[in-house]
Amino acid sequence: MFVILFMLFIVALTLFPYLNVLAKAFNDSADAAKGGIKLWPRKFTLENFKQMLSDKNIYHALYITVARVVLVTIGALLVQFMTAYALTRKLKGTALFNIFFLIPMFITGGTMASFVLYKYIGLLNNFWVYVLPGLFTFYNVIVIRSYIQTSIPESIIEAAHIDGISELGLFFKIILPLSKPILATVALWVMVANWNDWTTTLYFASRNKDLETLQYKLMQTIQKSAQLQKDIKAALIEGGDVEAAKKAASKNIPPETMKSTQIIIVTVPIIMVYPFIQKYFTKGITLGAVKG
Amino acid sequence: MGKEQKFKAENLEKNAQTKTENLVENVTEKEVALKNAAAEKEAPAVSTVRKTSAGAYFKKHRATYLFLLPGIICCLIFHYLPLAGLSMAFMKVDILDLFHSPWIGLENFKKIISMPDFTKAIFNTAWLGFLNIIIKFPAPIIFALLLNELKDGIGKRFTQTVSYLPYFISTIAVVGLAVTLFSSDGIVNEIRSYFKPNEEPMYYLLEQKCFVPMNVGLVVWKNLGWSSVIYLATISGIDAALYEAAIIDGAGRFKQCLHITIPSIIGTVIILLILEIGNLFKTNFDIIYGLQNSAIDYEVISTMVYKKGIQGSQYGIATALSLMEGLMSLVLVLATNFISKRLNDTSLI
Repeated sequence: MFVILFMLFIVALTLFPYLNVLAKAFNDSADAAKGGIKLWPRKFTLENFKQMLSDKNIYHALYITVARVVLVTIGALLVQFMTAYALTRKLKGTALFNIFFLIPMFITGGTMASFVLYKYIGLLNNFWVYVLPGLFTFYNVIVIRSYIQTSIPESIIEAAHIDGISELGLFFKIILPLSKPILATVALWVMVANWNDWTTTLYFASRNKDLETLQYKLMQTIQKSAQLQKDIKAALIEGGDVEAAKKAASKNIPPETMKSTQIIIVTVPIIMVYPFIQKYFTKGITLGAVKG
Repeated sequence: MGKEQKFKAENLEKNAQTKTENLVENVTEKEVALKNAAAEKEAPAVSTVRKTSAGAYFKKHRATYLFLLPGIICCLIFHYLPLAGLSMAFMKVDILDLFHSPWIGLENFKKIISMPDFTKAIFNTAWLGFLNIIIKFPAPIIFALLLNELKDGIGKRFTQTVSYLPYFISTIAVVGLAVTLFSSDGIVNEIRSYFKPNEEPMYYLLEQKCFVPMNVGLVVWKNLGWSSVIYLATISGIDAALYEAAIIDGAGRFKQCLHITIPSIIGTVIILLILEIGNLFKTNFDIIYGLQNSAIDYEVISTMVYKKGIQGSQYGIATALSLMEGLMSLVLVLATNFISKRLNDTSLI
């Protein structure tokens, strides 16, 4: 009994913040400013979404986000699969390549060094900073490699060789189609990570307004709303009118409902698909044990 | 009979091998001819010394080696070049002419150590790391143990699925949820006003003393369900016969948990704990930066690197900072790995 109550508590604790924001997003913005919205909108409206989706900047951010996710996913899958496949062929020097790839997993150059590097190779404030650095992740390569090793029988590859297939043909016609499950898994990892990423913009692309992604825009809104809190508090301390401070601030700060709408927009694609993709992610956890 | 078959098979294999070799050779020869006329002369010579020459070996497997190329290039540029860039920690960096920047030895490090912010940031980082270990780490274990007590069914699956939700949404959306909840006219203040109707709303987001609890709370909230997956997987691997025997011996649910479930997952727990300690200095930049505002004074090393380096253009100092952070992490990882080797006879690396 205690366990069931505890679990209900956890479920409530997890869902409550989201439902609260959802209610705000569907509530009339002037009405929401009065406060008191809990789990259900008081004055239901779609106006917030209409307003947000008619904003050209949001469309552009969506376009940038989708473009980077699509490009990096295709590129990363190709590069990581090719590497993983070549490593399974057990050629001379494979052990050396393994060490070569493994070392950066333990020591990394860090943000600063990457920043200066990108500056020198022209990636700074350039769209490709979203794509190129994300192409190679050795962890994914390890996971793909162990999948190929355990799930694709050597005899199939031998048979293909006997039939006179080229290496490229072998890779595209046999290895890739047989690796669909792991292909899907890694693709989902890369997609979710890149959809959710906003620090790349913050570090390397914040000078170029055209490169803002949805998540980065949300970050800006959140910081503005924290500033609003500060303004209201300051107005209170000075004995001023809180309502006036709110009004003055709302000229350049989007209202609470806008922030909620933005949160819903950036999370909805993930929320829609995650119940179906969780098994692919679980695979990663169990495969994670197979290092090296 | 058996021998004969084996012989036949061997023969077939040999035939097949030479066949494929020939094919591969054909392809390589064509490619070579296209690319380089000089190589054409070499190609026939190569086939005679195929078995001994390394170059020929490479040629034969050239296609496969070429598959490694994109990975190697990406790894070199985006993983190894930044490593070389760590040398900026010992430079007085002139960003416009990096390669002629003067070397100044440990000057940057001396400057960092004399900064009052730095000691604070180190302390803050270690404190957050410590809180992570004592709060964030055990929470999913308890969650998994309790979830295990639920009967299999729709309720359990629903709880699991819901608890994974925060893991999949972005850190900044999680911060956004918190900001909405805790703002002066947010739901938390409303609940508070039920109990203290006469007080002004609290500005949680601007309170220095709320920053750390909020940080830890968000990290726990985000990872609770997802981190329990590995424990649940371990628990589901426990032999059911053990529980049956315990029930016959008269053990209740609590005793079963204490004497069977916990001892079965303790190995996983230790390994993950060691990994967690290795990550002590890897603070969650996303959440900390997201929650920071001008009223909060709480810097950790990663936010300091960002503010000094990318915002403040003090490249040398920031690199030295992140080098120190990296070294501390590396030492922790190696030390914990050494301990785990001693304890478990298993190396994590």
